[in-house]
Amino acid sequence: MKSVPKLIRRFIGIMLLSAVLIIGLNLILLAVYSLNQMPNRHPWQTAGEVADHLHWDGHEYVLSSETALELKTSGAWAVLIDNKTMQVIWQTDDLPQTVPVSYCASDIAGITRGYIDGYPTFTGESEKGLVVLGYPKDSFWKHMWPSWDYRLIASLPRTILTVLAMNTVLVFMIYFFANTRLFGSVKPIINGIQALSAGEAVHIKEKGLLSELAANINRTSEILQSKDKMLEKKETARANWIAGVSHDIRTPLSMVMGYACQLESDRRLPKDSCQKASVIVKQSERMRNLISDLNLASRLEYNMQPLHPEKQNVVAIVRQVAVDFINMDIEGSHPVVWETDEALTVCTANVDRDLIRRAVSNLIQNCISHNNACRIHVGVTAENGTCTITVADDGKGVSDEQLEKLNSSPHYMVCDENTAQQRHGLGLLIVRQITAAHNGNVSMGRSRYGGFEAALTLPADNI
Amino acid sequence: MDFEYLKQKRILLVDDERELLDMVSSILKEDGFSNIKTAETVREAAAVSETFHPELAILDVMLPDGSGFELMERLKRSADYPVLFLTARGEDDDKFRGFGLGADDYMVKPFLPKELLFRVNAILRRCYKGENPLVILENSVIDFDRAEVIKNGEHIPLTAKEHDILAALYRNAGRIITIDALCSAAWGDNPFGYENSLMAHIRRIREKIEEIPSRPVSLITVKGLGYKLLLHTPGGK
Repeated sequence: MKSVPKLIRRFIGIMLLSAVLIIGLNLILLAVYSLNQMPNRHPWQTAGEVADHLHWDGHEYVLSSETALELKTSGAWAVLIDNKTMQVIWQTDDLPQTVPVSYCASDIAGITRGYIDGYPTFTGESEKGLVVLGYPKDSFWKHMWPSWDYRLIASLPRTILTVLAMNTVLVFMIYFFANTRLFGSVKPIINGIQALSAGEAVHIKEKGLLSELAANINRTSEILQSKDKMLEKKETARANWIAGVSHDIRTPLSMVMGYACQLESDRRLPKDSCQKASVIVKQSERMRNLISDLNLASRLEYNMQPLHPEKQNVVAIVRQVAVDFINMDIEGSHPVVWETDEALTVCTANVDRDLIRRAVSNLIQNCISHNNACRIHVGVTAENGTCTITVADDGKGVSDEQLEKLNSSPHYMVCDENTAQQRHGLGLLIVRQITAAHNGNVSMGRSRYGGFEAALTLPADNI
Repeated sequence: MDFEYLKQKRILLVDDERELLDMVSSILKEDGFSNIKTAETVREAAAVSETFHPELAILDVMLPDGSGFELMERLKRSADYPVLFLTARGEDDDKFRGFGLGADDYMVKPFLPKELLFRVNAILRRCYKGENPLVILENSVIDFDRAEVIKNGEHIPLTAKEHDILAALYRNAGRIITIDALCSAAWGDNPFGYENSLMAHIRRIREKIEEIPSRPVSLITVKGLGYKLLLHTPGGK
């Protein structure tokens, strides 16, 4: 089944897309968050600004009012440590008492990296000394030992990409194996459903993730199989019933036909009695054809008629049927005209000779049954890999309405609806069934001679 | 047509329906057959055949004490004569079985009397043609036994193919026989592509049997379909 790998491909595609989207989204969130934290970098800038804006006015150091205000707003204090004496030579008013006023070199190193008495400190360089800013406790967290191996930093982009790739591969593998397992348990279910649709019996092992589904499919298969068997039995019974009834009618009808024929030609009888006998003969023949058609139609309908296809010359089959009718037509009321190109002597097709003979006979018989007298044109043509048998007459023909019914309404034998409208002959149904069994098609319409025409097209078997 | 010698043939009819036996007998009698015996069971048929020595049997398949197929095998053990099945069983399998066992024809009921007569006569003509070796045509006579045509006192030999073709035409005398059936009679099954050879043989046959071969009166062409052999009918054409 092609749709399963397609489904898995789609799942993996969705998964990879989700991973890329999540990573992208995270990067965006990180960037936004970092940008929001940008103001937190200002303590170092502020320290620099304080150093810049601290001036000696001849008596003492003075901080510009704007910078002083900024310090006040952020709750920060500041001191200036003299480069030489390492003593605090200037300080803001709010300097906590715990902050020392004298420093040594190690204190300065500590201040730069970290805290004074828990106050996060930031330094700025001025001409006279070092400006130290102290922010309220717990307002900043400082990294005390910010140093990495150089090679680590140098190969960081490659390392990040490698880690990302490994993550992707790992996620892909997890997904692939998970899906493969899922596919393993889905596959028998899919095969089962396919077999069900083909009408085959199905039995799937009821275990694993989808055991409940497998059990349901098994049950469905059992139900379908039992229904098929019942239907088959019913159809066989129906076909057998039709065959039985037609068998039982044959012998009595033989006697009706036989005696009526004798009476018809009995010169001792009055003319009108002979005519009555003639009507009985004709009607008996109709009954005989009906029985025969009914039997064959039911066998074809219920697939009980074995097909024996062999390479045959369709021209020879049709010619034989035409000749049989010519030989039978003693009164000459229905002359058969052979209309096949003389050059076309062979048109081979893989067909059941008896059935094709029957189909052509039915078409000719149809012309005879519907016209008291008419000329019947029979021909075979071969083109585009097909053999087409045409039977046309110059009789009364068919109306548009009749043609429409003939082509659209099914015969009552194959119709499950109201049978009142489906009354056309079994003969044409058989022609359709036989043609369908040979993968051919039938078209019916008006003939160029003014009557009815049927064309039966069969796939040719090119030598 | 001169088939009177065939009307003397002994015919055995076997069917479990007495009325049908009566009817078939009357059809055959009306056509001129006079030696007819009937039987309703396998046992009766076997007994009748021992004294009657039939030359043609017309059998039903379903009989009260056995099948027509078994009966045919039994009858043919004592003497080989043609058998025609006349039965209500029209399935292909039954037909194949009948022909497989050596039946000469198989007819499904109901049937038209003229069809039965045609088939009976065709079987008899085919099986007993040696008894009437001379077939009289308008301008010549065919002697199938000697494989020659006698025209204006001259004996003209027939080739094997000409003999086969003429025999097939004679079996269907008065009726059209298709080109394909003639090819099949002369060259066996699946005779594709022999149409031109057939035409050549027909031309040669006409030279032998017709007075004026270009205007045939005995071997008639039915354009596109086949040929018809017309026998000489005394008192008219």
